[in-house]
Amino acid sequence: MVINNTTDALSLAFAALADPTRRAILARLASGDADVSELMKPFGLSQPTISKHLKVLERAGLVAIQRDAQRRPRSLVAAPLEDIDLWLEPYRQYWETRFKRLDDYMGEVGEQSRKATSKGSTRRSKPR
Amino acid sequence: MATQEPAQVSLPNEREIVITRTFGAPRAIVFDMWTNAEHIARWWDPSGVPLAACEIDLRPGGAFRFVHDGAGHAFTGVYREIDPPSRLVFTTPSASGAGSTGTLAFSAVGERTLLVMTIACVSKSDRDALLAMRVDAGTARTLDNLDEYLGSLAR
Repeated sequence: MVINNTTDALSLAFAALADPTRRAILARLASGDADVSELMKPFGLSQPTISKHLKVLERAGLVAIQRDAQRRPRSLVAAPLEDIDLWLEPYRQYWETRFKRLDDYMGEVGEQSRKATSKGSTRRSKPR
Repeated sequence: MATQEPAQVSLPNEREIVITRTFGAPRAIVFDMWTNAEHIARWWDPSGVPLAACEIDLRPGGAFRFVHDGAGHAFTGVYREIDPPSRLVFTTPSASGAGSTGTLAFSAVGERTLLVMTIACVSKSDRDALLAMRVDAGTARTLDNLDEYLGSLAR
């Protein structure tokens, strides 16, 4: 696999998302901008801890600082999340395609056993 | 069959992939689909073609081998835990050679079955190699067509 800038950006985003506190911060920012003190309250974390998590999120491009106000609120940047979705999509599709095959096959097997049952078998229908 | 919710993929940490999907059949049947060679041969290949060979030694330490074609492309591994109809654990080879562990948890949701499949790798690079596996988009398209066709036959 070729390592390029896109992959590096993805690696940063993945690393940033690997932490549950950082995912919670992103979830909070999804409902609106918030500054450090506003983020401290719901998580019960100290200011340095929140700042450390925010730095990781900023480096991954997931969070931006609004510089136009004194309180420097943070906002969510969705683009890296979309990149992750795009990257995962072929893998997801691969499994979904396979699972659809399984759905269809179970449908065929179920159909056969229903037919067998209606032809007089008294057994509970079950695939072979 | 009724249309199912599509599969979801999530990455809970750096080493794992979690795939979830609900099936419109009781879990005893879905578990059987995953552990009976005759069944697997009929649905495993996403292209819709039956497997060229399918060997299952269903016991802890027993091997399995799903052979896709004459060229020898195969999915192989070793069963670790077999607990019908709720749990199936196996190990498979990985890019680094260290192997990875697949855990399938089948939960009953009424008459339906929720499958949570966790693939645990030993490292982030092994996991990413797995995720980077690309699938031909044309194949997926063809299969959507087949899915629709089979659906229309069922109605």
